[in-house]
Amino acid sequence: MPEALLLSLAALLCLIGMGWLALALNVHWKQVRGAASRGVFTARRLRAMAALALLSALLLCLKVDHATMASLVWVMVLAAAALAVALMLAWRPRWLAVLLARAPHR
Amino acid sequence: MMQNFRLAMAWVHTWFGLLLGFVLIVVFFFGSLSVFDREIDRWAIPETRFEPQPMPSFDEILRPAFESMQPTEESVAAMRGRVDGPMPAHFDTPIRWGAYTTHRDPVLGLFAGYQVPNAKNPDELVWGNRTIDPRSGDALPDDRLKIGSRFFYPLHYSLNLHWMDLGYWIVGLAALVMLVALVTGVIMHRKLFRELFTFRPGKSKQRSLLDLHNLTGVVALPFHFMFAFTGLVIFAGIYFPVTHTQLEPLHELHEVLDAEETGLPHERAGKPAAMASVDAMVREAQRRWAERDMAGEVGFLAVQYVDDANGYVSVYRAGTDRIALTGEGIHFKASTGEVLREDPPPSVVERVDEFLTGLHLQHFRHWMLRWLYVFGGLMGCVCLATGFLFFVEKRKRQHAKRGESGARVVDALAVTTVTGMLVATLAMLVANRLLPDHLPGRGDWEQYSFWGAWLLAMAHAFLRTAPVARARLAPAWREQCLAVAVMAVTAVLLNWVTTGDHLLRTLRDGYWPVAGVDLFMLTGAVIALLAARRLGLRRRPLPVALTDEEAAHA
Repeated sequence: MPEALLLSLAALLCLIGMGWLALALNVHWKQVRGAASRGVFTARRLRAMAALALLSALLLCLKVDHATMASLVWVMVLAAAALAVALMLAWRPRWLAVLLARAPHR
Repeated sequence: MMQNFRLAMAWVHTWFGLLLGFVLIVVFFFGSLSVFDREIDRWAIPETRFEPQPMPSFDEILRPAFESMQPTEESVAAMRGRVDGPMPAHFDTPIRWGAYTTHRDPVLGLFAGYQVPNAKNPDELVWGNRTIDPRSGDALPDDRLKIGSRFFYPLHYSLNLHWMDLGYWIVGLAALVMLVALVTGVIMHRKLFRELFTFRPGKSKQRSLLDLHNLTGVVALPFHFMFAFTGLVIFAGIYFPVTHTQLEPLHELHEVLDAEETGLPHERAGKPAAMASVDAMVREAQRRWAERDMAGEVGFLAVQYVDDANGYVSVYRAGTDRIALTGEGIHFKASTGEVLREDPPPSVVERVDEFLTGLHLQHFRHWMLRWLYVFGGLMGCVCLATGFLFFVEKRKRQHAKRGESGARVVDALAVTTVTGMLVATLAMLVANRLLPDHLPGRGDWEQYSFWGAWLLAMAHAFLRTAPVARARLAPAWREQCLAVAVMAVTAVLLNWVTTGDHLLRTLRDGYWPVAGVDLFMLTGAVIALLAARRLGLRRRPLPVALTDEEAAHA
């Protein structure tokens, strides 16, 4: 796969992972899903999925570049993704509902 | 006053952060621009708008260029006090020639060091620089200032304040304070992870400013930390100049031992010797890199002890695909072309050092990472700017009541270092396009326009922040935002008028250095306009609703 595609995929995975991390926090869950509180189980699952997404992103970065460069790319993409999620929560919180498509409705 | 640890930390964060924040925001902003220093050079020197070139032939292009060089007047003048007797009119003994290039350089920078007869310290050299077109060897006009790599970039680490190296020390202190501010900031924050994604633009001004300050500080925390730290590592030699003070004998001994171990001569033999073909040496070096599965271009080429029996040629591989700047050096005997030494793989310590300096200086080829660095740097700017604004917002009503001017002064300095800095930068680029081509000292005039515009912006900031003393918004912010928007568009238009390289053409040809600078300025103009509009809305008197949540928080 061309490098640009792999890196874009890594960035997307970081965005999704950061989104799940945010949703694991009650405040942001409510922003996205309304009043209903999310269960402890859901939070744990969201965090696990987030960890998986962020880790896969790191692996993709490592596939493209030398390890030294890949680690820098990953850390910086994480930062950009976190900011993007924060701004989305500030102005368009509902967009993050996409990430819950398969999560239980409780 | 210091009832507890957290309050003490807050005090350190507030006051040291404020004092050196004005320096830090300059460092962050021009650091961000330095990521694209060579592209800014292309914009500012239209004659150099062509594709990056590999290291040219030494025998045909570089040698004649080096031979016609002489040390700069400044270097000779600086040496004058350290010589017994008069300075020669012509320097005949070059000791070192060097050429460094990266995958982003169309033009090639050369440097040459010359022995000074009767120098008090015989190891001290005088230096000359030249920039050539590597396709022909022709020198570029000396008066053309490389605004990106010779003005914005050094501004980032020395503030271009060279008197007693004062600038380096101020920036070093600021970097140290940056590290302190990060640690104290994290301690003050408390809810680092719980509020990682928190930004509430709808809440009061103080609340949303603090949110943005925390957000930009925390999400880019690894970046902020690494860059402040590696910046200090890069200049450790300046901040701890032990190699030429306390440890001078050790340093000298190390040089001798190093020469013994590497087999590379430690000094000139004093016997002339003609040089063999350097191009053949370069071919041999490239063959050896390819053998090690590291085929690559030459990044750095140097000749030590030119035309001397002890002379040697060092060829280093460009670190285009690595974090390290260059590496895999191979050294040849200049007179015969035989290999004297192949540098062994770097030790762990060397690798760490290469990584730390390389990640900061970023000469590698990775456009995504370069843009992420710009993003990190701009996050730093937002963090600092919101820090200033929060300081003002928190105090201005109190100060207004008590008739104090502290908040107003800080606000004026914030205007100067946030929008004023943009005005100065754009003024320089506008001047670059307006000044006549053959004006003597053109580069100096460009620098005067930068500092002059900044001074004007500062005067304007102090004049137009008077309402802050009455707890109102300073009109200076909005006016300078408008100035930034107008100047950015002017710079782009002037580039079109004076060079014919308008955006449609540069985008069609895919000439990103110039298209990128133009697009960056236009984006900046749009953001400045939006900001000015928002500030205009705020200007109308709002019912002053003091929210106490923030007062309680603070």
